[in-house]
Amino acid sequence: MSIVKSKKISEIYTEKSGKYIKSQPIIGDSPFIIQSKELNLWYDETQALINVSLNIYKNKVTALIGPSGCGKSTLIRCFNRMNDVYDNVDITGEIFYSGLNILGKKIQVTKLRKKIGMIFQKPNPFPMTIYDNVAYGPRIQKINRKCNLDPIVEKSLKKAALWDEVKDRLDDSAISLSGGQQQRLCIARALAIEPDVLLMDEPTSSLDPIATAKIENLINELKKKYTVIIVTHNMQQATRISDYTGFMYLGELIEFDSTEQIFQKPKQDLTKRYIGGRFG
Amino acid sequence: MVKTMSATTVIKNKPSSILDLELKSEKSFTEKMVKPILFFSATFSIIIVFFQIFFFFQQASGAFAEVSLWDFITGTSWRPVEQQTYGAVPLIVGTFVTTLGAMIITVPIGILTAIYIAELAPRKLKKILKFIVELLSGIPSVVYGYFGLIVLTNWIRIIFDRPTGQSWLAGSIILSIMALPTVISVSVNALNAVPVEYKEAALGMGANRWEAISKVILPSAFSGITTAIILGTGRAIGETMAVLMVTGNTTIIPSPITNIFSPVRTITAALGIEIPETAIGGTHYTMLFALVIVLYVIIIVINSIAEFLSNKFNKKRDPKYLRKKKKKKPILSLQKSKIISRLNKKIFYSIFLHIFVFGLLLSWSNIWLALIGTIILFLIIKFYKRIPNKVQEKIAFGLIFSAVLMVFTTLIIVIGFVIIKGIPVISWKFLLSYPRDLGRDGGIFPAIVGSLYLVGGAVLFAVPLGIASGLYLAEYTKPNKFNRLIRMSIDNLNGTPSIVFGLFGFIVFCILTGWGKTLLAGQLTLALMILPTIIRTTEQSILSVPLDIREGSYALGANKWYTVKKIVIPSAIPGIITGTILGMGRAIGETAPIMFTAVVFNLRRLPNSPLSPVMALPYHLFLLSTTVPGGQENAYGTALVLFVLVLILYGMATLFQSKIEKHSEKHFILR
Ligand SMILES: Nc1ncnc2c1ncn2[C@@H]1O[C@H](COP(=O)(O)OP(=O)(O)O)[C@@H](O)[C@H]1O
Ligand SMILES: [Mg+2]
Repeated sequence: MSIVKSKKISEIYTEKSGKYIKSQPIIGDSPFIIQSKELNLWYDETQALINVSLNIYKNKVTALIGPSGCGKSTLIRCFNRMNDVYDNVDITGEIFYSGLNILGKKIQVTKLRKKIGMIFQKPNPFPMTIYDNVAYGPRIQKINRKCNLDPIVEKSLKKAALWDEVKDRLDDSAISLSGGQQQRLCIARALAIEPDVLLMDEPTSSLDPIATAKIENLINELKKKYTVIIVTHNMQQATRISDYTGFMYLGELIEFDSTEQIFQKPKQDLTKRYIGGRFG
Repeated sequence: MVKTMSATTVIKNKPSSILDLELKSEKSFTEKMVKPILFFSATFSIIIVFFQIFFFFQQASGAFAEVSLWDFITGTSWRPVEQQTYGAVPLIVGTFVTTLGAMIITVPIGILTAIYIAELAPRKLKKILKFIVELLSGIPSVVYGYFGLIVLTNWIRIIFDRPTGQSWLAGSIILSIMALPTVISVSVNALNAVPVEYKEAALGMGANRWEAISKVILPSAFSGITTAIILGTGRAIGETMAVLMVTGNTTIIPSPITNIFSPVRTITAALGIEIPETAIGGTHYTMLFALVIVLYVIIIVINSIAEFLSNKFNKKRDPKYLRKKKKKKPILSLQKSKIISRLNKKIFYSIFLHIFVFGLLLSWSNIWLALIGTIILFLIIKFYKRIPNKVQEKIAFGLIFSAVLMVFTTLIIVIGFVIIKGIPVISWKFLLSYPRDLGRDGGIFPAIVGSLYLVGGAVLFAVPLGIASGLYLAEYTKPNKFNRLIRMSIDNLNGTPSIVFGLFGFIVFCILTGWGKTLLAGQLTLALMILPTIIRTTEQSILSVPLDIREGSYALGANKWYTVKKIVIPSAIPGIITGTILGMGRAIGETAPIMFTAVVFNLRRLPNSPLSPVMALPYHLFLLSTTVPGGQENAYGTALVLFVLVLILYGMATLFQSKIEKHSEKHFILR
């Protein structure tokens, strides 16, 4: 599988003197799409991630749980280098995306982010029309013609289960949508550039139960074609939608296993206590 | 924790590093040029400040050949024409006393009004009051001067039974009105910045509203309010036209020094009056530029103090600083030391106040009255604490309301005067015909057109440059020394008196180029003057674009420039437009910057090229009211037209502003 992918992946290498610079050979049939190795991260002097080593399975939903402030957001923001927007961040360790170290200096972050999309905690539609929101990503890639954009917009909104609700009002401001619709719009916007991986940082934490259920159904749909990494506060949500779960505590990845295993027979005492709700 | 891990790569992430990476690889020429162009625009402010200083020194270079520096600084006679004496003391004293008088009036009224706006006023009234304050700051200084000349000096003459009302007192009153908006708006910001929890904590402990304000909110906003006072002082010191029209302009030191009815001449007035009368390069001319340097130094000192204070103020609010401070000092000892230093300060201030009041009363009356007055003051201060809290609150609120009322009344009187006197003069003929008989007859058409040309041109130059600098400061730079230098220059330009801009424009655009008075020179000078306003509003509007929508753009693979172009700038545009309109409102009323650079009194034709001189409304008003006997009627009409133009611009800015606020509120709720 990853051999097929390897051509696309090679695009994120910077071409230099006609050769692709590789930090590691692409692993043959690895089931993992993202691997982090001994990842450490500091905000100024405070360490937010401590030796995090983790494997993310391809085309599965992986949930990250843990008390707030334990570094879940920090971790998934490493996967698309979103932490680059802060200037007080130091990272050591490696993150491989299909075998390629994406922390390498030669990585073109913009291209990486086209492969690894992100949905944020608070829906953050751009203050423009619904159509323009979805077309934003394709337009960055110089797809500008309406005849090319229209099908992308339609397809993406359909994938995000929003098409039926907005197809008659594509020129309305995205701000006029409800919170749940806005979040699905953000998902459609991310899907429009056909990423491999979707990072979701508590995507339902600001939504009501009905909107949450819609998003959860959507994630179950999406995992057929995409790898989803979702941060969640809500343990029921993790059991409902994820195949694998990682439990983090104070910057460390305490335990990682299949969701069933984690919730039924966790190996670590900390995990057990967190899941049992016996936590401060 | 050990920071380095063996056999791992270390990557330092910085926002600019993404940008660099992209620029190196695939970015188009325009994208490569963005940062350097913005950088250059931002540097422009530094260049202007540098050139200002350079040219003023150059023009003043011959100054102390005939007159010694010592005589200049200590001489008590400034009679350049009659006696060739160039002692700056009367002018410095003139500036000092008018400003001091103004601040004595403005500080209490301004702070009380600010308290009302920030803490007490109902929401709707708050908006109205803010608009009033804005409008007060927008009324052109010639209009204030004109009001002072016709109305205020007359009142002073009659009430105090003096031969003339043109005096230090008149100057101080007019300046106090003009410094008021600065003091109020900066104080309101300082008060609003006090965390709500402080107030809630005080009220929760059973304090009444006045106690919460006086014991908790005011002390927390102390440095912000001090900044407001200092900025207001800077504003008063730099004012030219209004002072020049009401202070009588005799270069004498008031005798006794507290004689508020004595005429005075300020530094700015000396420049405004004497520059046009001197031969370029002569002794008088160079001495005037020595005065410019004195003025410049005073303003720089004032701005630096204000900047220092507001930095301190911001630092205090910085959570990082707070955290560190909390760790270092146990709260109890901190309070103790604070209380002690406050006590010392209190004693010091109260002794100072008593001596000051005593001296003042002594100079106006005899020693007995002065003693009695000082004792009364002492008793008031002494027994104020004994008054029950409820009564204290009533007294305080009474004072606050009267201050607000005074601000309101002032505005009504000034505006009422302009409107009532002006309306009968307005007609199509007045608006659309050329002046005749030195402006006594005929209309003001070329002055209206000239003013519009001047402001339009200024905006054309200032807006692109201002947006580029603001963008650079907000998006493309991190705090470093150079960036601080840029900011200092912008702050400096913002506090520079308009007459200083006028002189700078005069040297650079009129003398150096050899063009003389031209429309273009006026436009460029005004552009420099409104540049800081536009830079600041641009920077603020850009910084207020939330981080999360930028991140949304980055997450889709957009680079920095694409994000700025598609997301940041469009969201910031309404704010930028507001800033631009406010800049226009300020530019249209200014006289000092165009007086030496662009305007002439009488024109039969409209300017046919950027290199011909123009007429302008404020200058027309100035000359009609000060040098044309019998120009009264048309002066009224000119003042009204000028006022209406300013009103339209400020109204538009306010409308825009409230639209933005509404929009962002909606935005907020829906999320
Ligand atoms: N930009 C930042 N600067 C400094 N510290 C940060 C920043 N973002 C997060 N942190 C700190 O890092 C830790 C982990 O935060 P985060 O990853 O947001 O936790 P979570 O998403 O699990 O709630 C917290 O202690 C937080 O205060
Ligand atoms: Mg989080």
